[in-house]
Amino acid sequence: MSDILVAKDISKTYFDEAAKDDVVALTGLSLQVRAHEFVSVIGPSGCGKSTFLRIVAGLDRPTSGEILVSGRKVTGPGADRGMVFQEYALLPWKTTEANIEFGLRLKGMPKAERQAITQRFVDLVGLTGFETKYPHQLSGGMRQRAAVARVLANNPTVLLMDEPFAAVDAMTRQHLQEELTAITTQERTTVLFITHAIEEAVFLSDRVVALSGRPGRIVADLTIDLPRPRKWEAVVRDERFAAYRDQLTQSIHASGAPKVAS
Amino acid sequence: MSIANISRRRFSWPTELVPFAVGILLWQALSSADIWPRVLFPSPYEVARAFVADTASGVLLVNLWVSLKSLIVGFLIACAIAVPLGYLMGLSRVTRNFFDPLVNLLQAIPGLAWIPFAILWFGLGQGAVLFIIVMSIFFPVLHNLLTGIRMVQPVLIEAVQTLGAGRAAVVTHVIFPATLPNLMTGIRLGIAFGFRSLVGGEMIASTDGLGYAIFNAQQYFQSARIVVGMLTIGIVWLAMDRLILRPIEQRTTMRWGLIRDGLEKS
Repeated sequence: MSDILVAKDISKTYFDEAAKDDVVALTGLSLQVRAHEFVSVIGPSGCGKSTFLRIVAGLDRPTSGEILVSGRKVTGPGADRGMVFQEYALLPWKTTEANIEFGLRLKGMPKAERQAITQRFVDLVGLTGFETKYPHQLSGGMRQRAAVARVLANNPTVLLMDEPFAAVDAMTRQHLQEELTAITTQERTTVLFITHAIEEAVFLSDRVVALSGRPGRIVADLTIDLPRPRKWEAVVRDERFAAYRDQLTQSIHASGAPKVAS
Repeated sequence: MSIANISRRRFSWPTELVPFAVGILLWQALSSADIWPRVLFPSPYEVARAFVADTASGVLLVNLWVSLKSLIVGFLIACAIAVPLGYLMGLSRVTRNFFDPLVNLLQAIPGLAWIPFAILWFGLGQGAVLFIIVMSIFFPVLHNLLTGIRMVQPVLIEAVQTLGAGRAAVVTHVIFPATLPNLMTGIRLGIAFGFRSLVGGEMIASTDGLGYAIFNAQQYFQSARIVVGMLTIGIVWLAMDRLILRPIEQRTTMRWGLIRDGLEKS
C-alpha cells in the first residue's frame, strides 16, 4: 500500500508572547501514513502533537518541511483533511443533519444525493431521531458523534482527530472509541489521531507513534497487532494490549518527558 | 431534551400584564394619597382621559407617526452604514486600523451634542432630528457588532475550513450567525439611544413629534399629557420588542442555544 500522507522533516518554532521567547515545538518530524491505516500520535502535553496535526490540516504552517497528501503539497486547510476537534466545533445554528451535510453542500452536491449520504452517516453514528435537534440539545457524546459524522460524510482522504474524546465522561468515551473502530474499520478510513492517553491509542490504532517531550521527536513507532473489530472487554484481556501499553509508556518516560504539574 | 424551553416560553397574558397592573395600582395609591398637587403628579385616571382625548383628536397619532417615521428611517440609515462597515472592519485589518480610531473618537460624543450643527445644516424640523437619531443609533450598532466579531470562536472557523469552506462560506455560515446575538444587542441599544435623541431633538429642533408634544404640554402645565407622551414612547418600544425583536431572537439565537431567557433550567 502506498503512503497517502507524508510528513517530511517538519519543524515548527513559534514566538511565545507570554514568555517573550521562541519555542521550538517540533524539529525534523517525519511520518508516513498508508491508505486505510489508523495512526495515533501520542506524547506528553506540550510535545507538539497537536501542532503537528494542525500543520497537517493546513491550519498552521511549518517553519520548515512539508506535508504531502495524495502526493500534493498542503498549503492550507481543505476538505481532503477533515478534522474533529476536542471541543466538537459543531455550528450551533445548524441542526444535526445540517451540520453533517454542510461539507456536501459546499461541494454543490444535489439535494437528493446529499440527503441520502447524510442519513447514512446519521444512522452510522447512531443519531437517528436526532436529525433536527440543535447541538445544544445533544449530550457531549452525541455532539462528538455528529462531529465525526460531519467529517466522514465529506469523505476526506484522511480523517484528523485532535483528542476528540477528552471532553466526554469515561463511560461515554469507551463507547465512542468502540464505535470509532467499528466505523473506521467498516469505512476503511485513513485516520491520524492525536491523544495523550496511551491506552486509547493502543485500542484504536494500527500503529502508534510516540513523541518525546518538547521539542517532539519520535521515540517509538509501534505496530499494534490486535484483531478487529475491537471491544474493550476483549482487548483488555489480550496480553498484547498490556505489552504495547507498557512498551509505549517506557519509551515516553525514557525520553525524559517532563513531569507536568497541573 | 430542552426543545420544550422554546415552546414553553410563550406569550402569556397574566405574566405580561400583572407587573403593569401592580404598577398602575401603586401609582393610583400614591396619587390618591394627595401628597403632591395634581399638576405635579397626575393620576392614572387623568392620564387615561388625556390619552383618550388626544387619540380622538388625532394629535397623538400624528405625533406618533412623525416620531416613528424619524426613528425607523434613522434606524435604517444607521444600520445600512454600520452593519457593512462593522463586518468590513471585523474582517479586514486595514479597514479596522483606519476606522477604529475615528469610531472611538466619535462614539463618545452624545447624539444630542450634534443638535447645533444638525439645525445649521438641516434647519429646524425632522431633518435635524433624523440626523441626530442616525448619529445615536450608528455607534452602538457598530460597537456591538465589532465585539461580536471579536468573540467568534476560531475553532468554528477552522472546523468549516477543514470541510472545504473558503472565505465567503466562512462569512455566511460562521461569522454572520455567530455575530447575531451581539448585533441584536446593538440594535436594542441603538433603538434605545435613538429614542433619547428623538425626544431631545424634537424638544429643541422640531415643532411636532412625541418629544415636542411632551415639551409643549409642560409649557401649558398639562401634566397628564406629558405622561401620555412618555407612556406612548414606552408602549412603542414594548411593542417593537415583543412584536419584532423577540420573535426574531426566539427563531434564531434562542433556538440555537446562544442566549436564554434566564438562568433557570426550563
